[in-house]
Amino acid sequence: MLDLFLAEFWRSLLFLRRYPLELLGAVVTLSLLFYLLFLGARFLAGPGAEFGGRLEAVLVGYLLWTFTLSAYNGLSFGLMEEAQTGTLEQVFLTPYGPIPLFLVRNLAGLLSQGLMVFLVALTLMTLTGARLAFAPGVVLPFLVVLLGGYGLGFAMASLALLYKRVGQLLGLSQFLLLFLLQAPGEGAFLLLPLAPGAALAREMLATGTPLEPLGLLLALLNSLAYFLLGLFLFRLAAKRARRLGLLHGY
Amino acid sequence: MELLLEARGLWKRFGALEAVKGVSLALAPGEILAFLGKNGAGKTTTVKMLSSLLFPDEGEVRLLGQDPFKEPSSLRHLGAVLEGNRNVYWRLTPLENLVYFGVARGLSLGAARKRAQALLEEYGLLEKAWVEVRHLSRGMQQKLALLQALIHDPEVLLLDEPTLGLDVETALLMEAKVRELARRGKAILLTTHQLSVAEALAHRVAIIHRGEIVLEGEKEALLTRFAGEHYLLELEAPPPLEVLKRLRALGVEGEGPFLFRGDGEVLWKVLEALRPLPLKRVAKAEADLLEVFLKAVGHA
Repeated sequence: MLDLFLAEFWRSLLFLRRYPLELLGAVVTLSLLFYLLFLGARFLAGPGAEFGGRLEAVLVGYLLWTFTLSAYNGLSFGLMEEAQTGTLEQVFLTPYGPIPLFLVRNLAGLLSQGLMVFLVALTLMTLTGARLAFAPGVVLPFLVVLLGGYGLGFAMASLALLYKRVGQLLGLSQFLLLFLLQAPGEGAFLLLPLAPGAALAREMLATGTPLEPLGLLLALLNSLAYFLLGLFLFRLAAKRARRLGLLHGY
Repeated sequence: MELLLEARGLWKRFGALEAVKGVSLALAPGEILAFLGKNGAGKTTTVKMLSSLLFPDEGEVRLLGQDPFKEPSSLRHLGAVLEGNRNVYWRLTPLENLVYFGVARGLSLGAARKRAQALLEEYGLLEKAWVEVRHLSRGMQQKLALLQALIHDPEVLLLDEPTLGLDVETALLMEAKVRELARRGKAILLTTHQLSVAEALAHRVAIIHRGEIVLEGEKEALLTRFAGEHYLLELEAPPPLEVLKRLRALGVEGEGPFLFRGDGEVLWKVLEALRPLPLKRVAKAEADLLEVFLKAVGHA
């Protein structure tokens, strides 16, 4: 399995090195989107507006969104591309089985996704003057949110496996993701995917409160539940695709 | 003999369409089975079931005695070139593809790299090892698709149209390689529309028509069976009219060459009728796989 991880990691690095424009395009688009929103907010607030620490919190929230987004839609885009280029069936012929392979692929893709988020962060810090200096403990709720993001990604990939063309749905659901990451982390919202972890990270960044272990545990349980649900749905979809002969074609 | 791949009573329906009806196949080490059929006959559906990419509604598949649907680890014994698929990543080079698929099929990174280089050298692709696949010719891509199936040295190979669209030289090379793989003990299922390729390579033949196997057997036995008692006769010059009439009366058909369908006893009467005209050739007619295929599909 370690060799598989290394091979997947190496493959993602190769794509990164060979097609740097794809990474650059994503960085420019994501940076521009935030910067335009930032300019719009400054225009509405007037020339003397000061965002103070809020800018950092919003920026971190945005970076969390971009990271979660790539965790969420990476697998679906990958499956759609594999179905289109005709390698999906070969991927399903692995003795590891498709789920372990895609799990490892997700894990290996973390670095390139992290690099993208890092570059977006650098660009936006330069453009907006924000300074990100947050406690290392925030990384934990970040990782918890990512886990949930992968769970939702597997759920969406189930649809991609069965219906192939889910690009529009993926585009629309980005906004749902934004809502989930901004939802309050209390009451019924605790049951929504990503919300508890994202709220925890937001609170730590906005008010500087230390990491709350119980909150982290609840967020982890939430993400774990959605992660397992995602895997379960993907397993069902893979079975259905094999029953109906949907692995071939686009 | 130990069977490497065995399928028993495979059925597959897509809605009202019965794509495959009770297909059973078996492959032994060193054997090439040509699996033939018209478009839509059920070949690809069967191949997909054999490779565990498609669940059969009924029946079972055994790969070295294991069920690949329940035990995906058994897929390390299988390599496949699937028709209509690229089979490899176009944005990677041949070496990168082979190393990736080698590891994905259970090899260690080091072993995959070593084997990939050996295969690229053996198949004359080493100088293109670092060129992205999308820049390679069709023949090279097809060779690479075969290497991708061979990278983990599986015992069973499913080759769906491996020589389709290749130039003569590359097709001949692929044929030679497939023959060599069988000599090394691989069990190979070959589906193709190129009956000459099937005839050149196969030890056994199975013909599927409308989802059912309508003919299966050793190639040589089938060719002999379908050749029947046919003889070809050629003369140095066209026979006079009265001789021709005698020949027709004995049931000889055609003209240059003449074709006689009958047993060897009556053949002597035909030869008697031709005496003393100079003969150019008398031979027992041989059936080819095309004839066998057309008869099997026509009678089904």
